[in-house]
Amino acid sequence: MPCIMRFGKEKVMNRKSIMQRLKQMGGVWLFVIPALIPLIVFWIYPIFRSLFISFTDWDYMSPTYNFVFFDNFKSLFTDERFYEALGNTILFSVGTIIPTIVGGLLLALLLQKNFRGSGIYKFILFSPWVTPTVAVSIVWTWIFEPQVGMANTVLKFFHLPGLQWIQSSDTAMLSVILVTVWKSLGYAMIFYLSALEKVPKDLYEACGLDGAKKWQRFRDITIPCISPTTFFLMIITMVNSLQAYDQIQILTQGGPSGSTRTLLYMYYQLGFEEFNMGEATAVAIVIILITVLLSCVQFTASKKWVHY
Amino acid sequence: MEGQKLLNGYQTGQQTRRQGAVMFGPGRKIINSLLHLLKMAVLLLASLVTAFPFVWMIISALKTKAEIMDVSAFLPETAQWQNFSEVLFESPMVRYIGNSLFVSVCTVAIQVVTGAMIAYAIVFMRFRGRKMLFAVIMATYMLPTAATYVPSYIILSNWNLLNTYTGLIISNAVSIFGIFLLRQAFMQVPAGLVEAAKIDGANAWKILWKIVTPMTKSSFITFGLMSFISSYNNYMWPSLITDSPEMSLVSQGLRRYFIEGGAYGTEWPKVMAGSTIIVVPLLILFMFTQKWFINGIGGDTGMKG
Repeated sequence: MPCIMRFGKEKVMNRKSIMQRLKQMGGVWLFVIPALIPLIVFWIYPIFRSLFISFTDWDYMSPTYNFVFFDNFKSLFTDERFYEALGNTILFSVGTIIPTIVGGLLLALLLQKNFRGSGIYKFILFSPWVTPTVAVSIVWTWIFEPQVGMANTVLKFFHLPGLQWIQSSDTAMLSVILVTVWKSLGYAMIFYLSALEKVPKDLYEACGLDGAKKWQRFRDITIPCISPTTFFLMIITMVNSLQAYDQIQILTQGGPSGSTRTLLYMYYQLGFEEFNMGEATAVAIVIILITVLLSCVQFTASKKWVHY
Repeated sequence: MEGQKLLNGYQTGQQTRRQGAVMFGPGRKIINSLLHLLKMAVLLLASLVTAFPFVWMIISALKTKAEIMDVSAFLPETAQWQNFSEVLFESPMVRYIGNSLFVSVCTVAIQVVTGAMIAYAIVFMRFRGRKMLFAVIMATYMLPTAATYVPSYIILSNWNLLNTYTGLIISNAVSIFGIFLLRQAFMQVPAGLVEAAKIDGANAWKILWKIVTPMTKSSFITFGLMSFISSYNNYMWPSLITDSPEMSLVSQGLRRYFIEGGAYGTEWPKVMAGSTIIVVPLLILFMFTQKWFINGIGGDTGMKG
């Protein structure tokens, strides 16, 4: 216990300990700074900078700008496109979060016990996650092709009418959601697999070998035990949905007629196509506020249903 | 506590239930094997649907332009391997792959060093604001990164780093996920070991790389692989800051090829060949490194549970 010993010694020792502490602080800084600087420059500062820009009418090209205070937000909140994008974002988020979490859990339950070939299933189900969204979205574009694409060929095989998929505003969002769920399902599955492994075995044993009560066992033991993972996945999937861009850019570019334009895609179009930096950052602020708000709601709600 | 309560509830519920009819014998067996069959069917279907785009991508890449437009031709009559050689030798795809490899390797190396250092500081060093620092990092993890792109773009432009790999790499110098992963792993290292090394006079740098890193090797591998994959596949940010074609990374390059190569019509086999060239190596890499992903992601999420 070196720190206790230090108190008992004379002044010489004290000075040395100050030197030591300075040295120690230096050491801490040396270890923290390489990560902290990029974190501040490219993550934290940009949030405040965005807030600042959102109060201006800056167009990126000109060196000057005027303060317009809440004008960007006002024009945003009176713009029909904004509400459409907000609605699309909600639809997209809910449409991806629920199937990803429910499907991921279902697959994890099916693969919970190792059997011959379970490794191959895990490999296949998780594989979309490692592939570039752009490349696989291009493949999906081909699958969604209305005339000769595989999606409609399959539908025709079951005597169902073909869909226009990404070419119609009725089904474009569905297509984007399908691709997103396809890509993230295995990821959720992996998280659930390890969560299921960590459910204390004695809890299961306590309720006996009575197989008929599997559902009850699942509801009363498994679900509460894996709730932290569910909570974690909800947050992560939500953040990912809020910033989905690659698949939208390849599949639909926000169209047809704005039916897949999410807030993030609107942010991209305003900022990097129209160079309306003020309104773009205003959208960014809205996205950040939504994230913070939803995270707070989920954290508060999690106290009721998440059991650590 | 919670578990105990549940357990108690279970035992009482169990006793009352035991008195009711429980199915035993052959009936139970049939139901069980039917359930098993259903389980296998669901898994098989899910895997087929998941793998289908990859299979279809490869099959389509081997077709002729006429075959690909013919719904009745599932397989090509003769495999058109020259589609691949044409993409490899007559398009800049190989260059894009090289660009992506270069940027990814640099990014991974930097992220591992910065991540390991800050995780070491958070776990093994005592300083004021340690908890605060970790809270800030955790909050950043939940931030939609894309929402910061306008100011980040302006910063790089002010530093004259637009259209450079330096800009791309330094703006990705930190992986928040990686910091989580390593922090979680470092916490498993016995603190006494680090203390003993300190008393022996080893400095923090040495302890980190000579003692802590070898003990948490698997987390480093997971981190490296995850960071490599996400940096290799990254699209939005690189496409915003690098716009000259010869600087493109794979995703951006493939998209350009998709659009220029007459995507909306004729060149589907070649577009599929291009996608295959980019996707299949990643699938092979994943095949050999699968366990690091699965153990790493599931095991060390930074969350209890």
